[in-house]
Amino acid sequence: MKQQTGLNKNRQHTTKQRLRSSYVTSLISITLVLFVVGLLGLVIVYAKKISEFVRESINISLILNENAKDVDVRLLQKTLDATTYVKSTRFVSKEEAATQLEDELGEDFLSVLGYNPLSSSIDIYLHSAYTQQDSMKKIEKELKSNPLVKEVYYRKSLLEVINRNLQHISMIIFIFSILLLAVALALINNTIRIAIYARRFLIRTMQLIGASRSFIRKPFVLRGIFMGLVGGILSVGMLTGLLYYVYREFNDLYLIKDPQLLGLLMVVIILFGILLNWISTYLAVNRYLSLDEDQLY
Amino acid sequence: MTQKPIIDFRNCTIFQKDHLVLKDVSFTVDPGEFVYLIGRVGSGKTSLIKTINAQLPLHEGFARVGEFTLRTIKQREIPVLRRTLGIVFQDFQLLSDRTVHANLEFVLRATGWKDRKKTADRIREVLDMVDLGLKGYKMPHQLSGGEQQRVVIARALLNNPQIILADEPTGNLDPETSSGILGILKEISSNGQAVIIATHNYNLLKQHQARTMRCENGRLTEMNRNEEIDFETIIN
Repeated sequence: MKQQTGLNKNRQHTTKQRLRSSYVTSLISITLVLFVVGLLGLVIVYAKKISEFVRESINISLILNENAKDVDVRLLQKTLDATTYVKSTRFVSKEEAATQLEDELGEDFLSVLGYNPLSSSIDIYLHSAYTQQDSMKKIEKELKSNPLVKEVYYRKSLLEVINRNLQHISMIIFIFSILLLAVALALINNTIRIAIYARRFLIRTMQLIGASRSFIRKPFVLRGIFMGLVGGILSVGMLTGLLYYVYREFNDLYLIKDPQLLGLLMVVIILFGILLNWISTYLAVNRYLSLDEDQLY
Repeated sequence: MTQKPIIDFRNCTIFQKDHLVLKDVSFTVDPGEFVYLIGRVGSGKTSLIKTINAQLPLHEGFARVGEFTLRTIKQREIPVLRRTLGIVFQDFQLLSDRTVHANLEFVLRATGWKDRKKTADRIREVLDMVDLGLKGYKMPHQLSGGEQQRVVIARALLNNPQIILADEPTGNLDPETSSGILGILKEISSNGQAVIIATHNYNLLKQHQARTMRCENGRLTEMNRNEEIDFETIIN
């Protein structure tokens, strides 16, 4: 009998160790999957920011009539600044334009020509949402109708290339996101099912003593939520560390840093972890609640 | 006035999935009755026990257990039915990660007990019934096989069930310990709770004669008190 008790003790110890290690393994898997989901989130956030950054760098130059009065030009600039699609404007005088051209050409063209043929202009930078071709055409038409404006100029071909490339990149990221999300769902679901599989006989015992389904589910679901929360927090910690490193190594990324959006992403990752674990645990326990005894073996 | 049977089966067919196990099963069990269910391995004893506690669905015939009609029982009523039954398994199935007291407390919480004092009192009562009053603090692995089985019986008694279903309760125990377990079950029966024991342990039948039903050739038959039991056919 003593020997049997000893064996039971060993078995008990082994079972506890297995359960603990299965929870640790589950937690590591969940954390890593959420970390990868977070990385994808970062790619999406940065792709959006980069796309906005590129689009908002495209400018429309309004070439002004020679006889436009200074006061009218300033009024026009103020009106433009107040327009919904305009992010910012910059007045470029004909003298500044000449200096810029001289810098670009590397020659003093004014002394060759004897006069400044350039006109004053207003450079308009649009909000990224208005940089699609159809919007640009409407804006161009609207601007052209102003009597102070001689010409509206922007690099249509560059805009087309940017729009096309950004569309392709967005599509690739979208497909990749769906695939990765499916992989994340499958991995977390599988991890949880394996962890619950180890306790299937406990579920059966609880059923046989007359515990209701919700009573049986409760501790599993609570543990699932807790694991999702801890996994989410750990993955957010890892992402923060990674971001800290990246910002330190690539200073230019500060230009497109958006702490609010990143904070939101972190919250979403934690909520995603909790929700996914909750649903997976719920479904996995339900599955074992519905199995008959033979299927448990 | 005649007592209403606590279990009433009429013309039932017992299936294990699609496999027919027992046909035309009819029997009743009265409160306080002690019944053996014997038969060879695979003859349908466990399937019948599982049908009584709604682990296996009943598709043909009429069966009532306590207040529940098995053909029409709803999923949400099954836990309530099981609380009127005390189930004793062959392989103890105690929760190995908690003490005896916690095992019993867990069952009471799972079946709706909230008052701590009442819970503690009830646990003490059932542990005393099985002579384990001082062992509530022990972990299951610190108990012998017989003691573990007594804890399982105590667990089955917690909700004061009308029926105790014991499936090979002495299967893993030595003769002396088995005899002790039988004694406890007899005492339970004498207190008014029906006890059904599925067993192949002929020593039990010899020690304590009682009503015996036999599963054989797909049928359940009532054995005559004076009928000689061919134990060889039961065991093999």
